[in-house]
Amino acid sequence: MLDLLWHGLVNIAQWKYMLPLFAGTFIGVIGGSLPGVTITMTVIVVLPFTYGLDPLAGLAAMTGVYVGGSTGGLIACCLLGIPGSPASIATTFDGFPMSRNGEPGRAIWLGVWASVWGGLLGALFLVFLTGPLAAIALEFGPWEYFSLFVLAMAMVAGLTESSLLKGLISTAIGLLITVVGHDPIGSVPRFTFGSEFIGGGFPFLPVLIGIFAFAQIMTDLEKLNLTRGQTMESLVGVKLERFSHLKVNLEIFKQPFLLAWATIVGLIIGILPAIGGSASSVMAYDQAKKFSKTPQLFGKGHPEGIIASEASNNANVSGSLMTIMAFGIPGDAVTAVMLGAMTIHGIQSGPLFISQNPDLAYGIYAAYILAHPCMLLICVVLMPLMLRVTSVRMAVLAPVVLVLCVVGAYALNNTMQSVYVLLLFGVIGYVLVKLGFPLAPLILGLILGDQIEINLVRAIMTDPDPLLFLTRPISGVLLLAAVASVGLAIWQHLRHQYRVVEEEPDF
Amino acid sequence: MSMGRDGIAGLVLLAISLVLLVQSFQLPSLPIVPVGPGFYPAIVLSFMAAASALLVLQDLAKGRALSAVGADEAPRRNYRLVVIAFVIVGAYVALLPLLGFRVATVLFVAVLQAALGQPRTARQWAVLAAVAVGTTAVSYFIFERYLLVLLPRGAWTGF
Repeated sequence: MLDLLWHGLVNIAQWKYMLPLFAGTFIGVIGGSLPGVTITMTVIVVLPFTYGLDPLAGLAAMTGVYVGGSTGGLIACCLLGIPGSPASIATTFDGFPMSRNGEPGRAIWLGVWASVWGGLLGALFLVFLTGPLAAIALEFGPWEYFSLFVLAMAMVAGLTESSLLKGLISTAIGLLITVVGHDPIGSVPRFTFGSEFIGGGFPFLPVLIGIFAFAQIMTDLEKLNLTRGQTMESLVGVKLERFSHLKVNLEIFKQPFLLAWATIVGLIIGILPAIGGSASSVMAYDQAKKFSKTPQLFGKGHPEGIIASEASNNANVSGSLMTIMAFGIPGDAVTAVMLGAMTIHGIQSGPLFISQNPDLAYGIYAAYILAHPCMLLICVVLMPLMLRVTSVRMAVLAPVVLVLCVVGAYALNNTMQSVYVLLLFGVIGYVLVKLGFPLAPLILGLILGDQIEINLVRAIMTDPDPLLFLTRPISGVLLLAAVASVGLAIWQHLRHQYRVVEEEPDF
Repeated sequence: MSMGRDGIAGLVLLAISLVLLVQSFQLPSLPIVPVGPGFYPAIVLSFMAAASALLVLQDLAKGRALSAVGADEAPRRNYRLVVIAFVIVGAYVALLPLLGFRVATVLFVAVLQAALGQPRTARQWAVLAAVAVGTTAVSYFIFERYLLVLLPRGAWTGF
């Protein structure tokens, strides 16, 4: 295995892979540091550029975006007090106070180094655990897959804070979108109303781009011109104080337990489907505070808060990559885009992925590992630029991102059809956000829809006894866990019934 | 009886799922396969119908008073801008095959920028023009020259 990894590293170190990886990481750091531009949006923007590349080069670029974006978000956290991307949300809690106390350099570099170490620790798990996980997945029959997907959806729907019902409906809408078009067994057209336009079903990537990028930009535009000029404190353009990288690293390694625990929290959240960076950052922060000897300092510029949040959101990336490589299920929207890109190149994801495409699999590991030194180099060299980039206005950004979304949909098969789908789902996504429906369950439904149907029908075709879903041990346990997670969500909602929270949509 | 946002959304979704549910029963069944193409959609739609109905009931059961308070506290939102942005994007998508990528994109980026933040000084106008032309030129160059992606040509302009 180690020689395969070594081979992967040597392979990626070639120019034709290193260049996309470096470019992806760079764009990721920039995209991550722009408030209002999420990592998902950045990877969507990069997507059309990867169509023409060879598959590994494209995946390396996207892995770079993912790693770079998870780190880039912390700059806006420390300078503006708002997260540059949702994944670094908890970094604001202590990063901004520390900057305000006159130590912006310490805050930013603690974050960058914690990201590097958290990410590289995560890589260990990625390299050594993905294979065994895939081996477990290989034992799965259609019953187990079906139950696993049901569990994933139940968990995501249950996690939505506003309303469990809306989460479930959102999942159903996602599943419904995949039903439109020809059925997977007999190619009978379903719900097409005789229209040519939707006869082939809705292509996955344009729907995803519409729902994530479009709907989110529109939500951001609502706030435009309203907050400007108000009392928003900003440290953009600040000169970083003198500090030593060695000291920052010592500060991180003084608490190896904190670093390791934050990494594991991020990793686990990453492995769970469809809950991403923001959850891992908040949860690791929360854990750090619970275990800390000095919890009263959290929120006032405590280094532990920054380390926990940043180490976990980079480890989260490795967890997401594990899920997609072992099971073929995307851990979040970014890996969903990667999965879409793999499909374009005709690569079959799933438990056989690693054994069938070892070059690609170890190439992705290598890209993930090498993205960290790239990211560090970019941060060291370009920090002065990045301190300014956070102040680019949304009015300039939004049109550029939208153009690249349109190109991304168009270039998929060079037809306007996909662009119309993109626009349609942009509107649908926006309306759903406004009605308080969470989008994460919808996306998961959209991603898993076809697979659920295929596995369900396959199971019934193999043996018509529906009780097998319950009596096969793994399948039964998974379904039980699904019921338990919905039950738990209902119980929690009943407990907090009177707590009214307006939840920000999680993109 | 008054109904809130959730109730109306629930009713609409309930109606959609019922219409499609009826359709899914009319789908033909296949000779060799034990379950027809309508089997799985029917499960999804039944689930969606049930959840939507529950959402309507939940909304009716919840007092109106509570949500009225929430509405007051909600931050001010610039919905006009969103509508304008959607119209501009819609126009761009409609004009793309007619004007071609290059012309349509320059116009789109310029117009949307101006709509989102009216430039006041000559310098701001210059930035706007530079971003519009730059975005188009760079993306056209990279996609057509290096990545072999053919971007739309205009039916009217031939460009």
